[in-house]
Amino acid sequence: MKLVTDVWVLMGRKVREALRQPTWVIMNLSLPLVLLAFYAPLLQSLAGAPGFTRGSVLDVFVPGMLVMLAYVNVTAAGYFLLMELDSGVIERLRVTPVSRFALLMGTVLRDVLATIVPALVLVAIAIPFGFHPRWAGAAVLMVLLALLTSATAAASSALALIVRKVESLTAVTNGTLMPLLLLSGLFLPLSLAPQWLRVLAHVNPLYYAVEASRDLAVGTIGSATVGQGFLVMGGLAVLAIAWATRVYRKAAA
Amino acid sequence: MIPNRTALGKATDAVVVENLRKSFRVKGGTVEAVRGIDLRVARGEIFGFLGPNGAGKTTTLRMLTTLLPPDGGRALVAGADVAGRPQDVRRRIGYVGQRGGADSAATGRENLVLQARLYGQRKAEASARAAELIDLVQLSEFADRPALTYSGGQRRRLEVALGIVHHPQVLFLDEPTAGLDPQNRANLWDRVRALRATGTTVFLTTHYMEEADALCDRVAIIDHGAIASEGTPRELKQCLGREMVLIKPGPAARPLEDLRRDLAAQRFVEEARIEGETIRLSVGDGGQALPAIVARLQSDGVPLETVSLSAPSLDDVFLRQTGRSLRDAGKGEQS
Repeated sequence: MKLVTDVWVLMGRKVREALRQPTWVIMNLSLPLVLLAFYAPLLQSLAGAPGFTRGSVLDVFVPGMLVMLAYVNVTAAGYFLLMELDSGVIERLRVTPVSRFALLMGTVLRDVLATIVPALVLVAIAIPFGFHPRWAGAAVLMVLLALLTSATAAASSALALIVRKVESLTAVTNGTLMPLLLLSGLFLPLSLAPQWLRVLAHVNPLYYAVEASRDLAVGTIGSATVGQGFLVMGGLAVLAIAWATRVYRKAAA
Repeated sequence: MIPNRTALGKATDAVVVENLRKSFRVKGGTVEAVRGIDLRVARGEIFGFLGPNGAGKTTTLRMLTTLLPPDGGRALVAGADVAGRPQDVRRRIGYVGQRGGADSAATGRENLVLQARLYGQRKAEASARAAELIDLVQLSEFADRPALTYSGGQRRRLEVALGIVHHPQVLFLDEPTAGLDPQNRANLWDRVRALRATGTTVFLTTHYMEEADALCDRVAIIDHGAIASEGTPRELKQCLGREMVLIKPGPAARPLEDLRRDLAAQRFVEEARIEGETIRLSVGDGGQALPAIVARLQSDGVPLETVSLSAPSLDDVFLRQTGRSLRDAGKGEQS
């Protein structure tokens, strides 16, 4: 089918691009690894505290890092799009009969790969330090990360096509980054937080991803938390992709 | 639902444009970038869209290539309506934008194979076509190097190759030779002529007079979003009238005034004036008038020191049509 071929060919283009700059993919791992080395040890004294009752401290912490990996780096998708807009590549592609959906998905799926591969590396590195993932849960967790990455990449691209300026994009991305991360319970479980903070967290999509991710890491696949996580991430991915496709269709590159 | 309120060109027309318009909202109001233009480009023609930066050339081109939805009017490109059937238009046209659009990190070959694949060619087919085009645009030496290592001319050749991967019926080139040195410009002109020879229609924009003059079969001059005039370069220059034939007789000739009166009575000559040692003759068509005038003078035994023909340039046409010279026109306007 033409659509599948188009997505595949366009993803190949972006994958080759990433492989030409392997440092970029490796750098994706640097922040989670730094946190694993210099931040996670601080949490050891919290073992057994609220939010750390299941498994080791890393069983709680690493799933959060995986969510961070699937979100923080992917917010850069918009910048790369703006660069390609500048060089005329997007314009050239938009004159071909390729569907706008395929144009978007080529990039989104590359970003999914660029999340899943480092995520697996991160899991492998964390195991000797006391992370005990359950394999079935971890596999489902990767699907959850793929949804989060898709939603983030698509939204970042749509936003980039609308604001058109790196400065404006930076303002939005940076302005939302820390609040979203802090309110997700990614650094410290929100069960340690006062009531108002916990309530506030419920409007943050990342919160549901982190909660579901923690369940999945320890092998709890059928929980309501996991269901919620998939519902929120799946819903956002569909919405963001639909939005971005629409913007791609209308945008004058 | 194609309304038949107007005859929409002939089947042989590659591009038919009627009352096409586009305005943009900017701070403090709207800018009418294209104000209802009409165009016809015949199949197999090299058509030039000439005008300064900001005249509306690129905006028009972007509407014709489905990149920008028109606000009003209609455009048929390669037989399909740009608004109603953009996918059909896309399959039938090639486009090389001002910024080119080659993927810098990828090699020339990778760029070409990808492009061919996007037009539905299978892998083997796409590789074969890429190899063929690499030969055609003389990139063999560089085909497997990243495009970012290419010189300006090499890059442009790659970009043109990208535009013709799928044998388009109509190829759109936006300022194809901007920033190229004379040698590369001539090379690209040859390439465009070769395309016409294979039946491809070429629609290009330029703000170079020489380019429109040397390359294009027909030219439309656009200024402030409207077409100021249209025709072959020759027609445009002729509608300025008056090509000038300058005659400087030799020392032993009859008195100038005598000669002038004689020449003024000739067919082809509209006006004859004396300017210093020279007689200036306004003629309709220099190509026809010059030989006749020279033959006449020779049969009268008039010795000649110099004879020259000075044709109005497209620059003069532009100046005449818009009241500004092309060189100045683009200044202070955004493209």
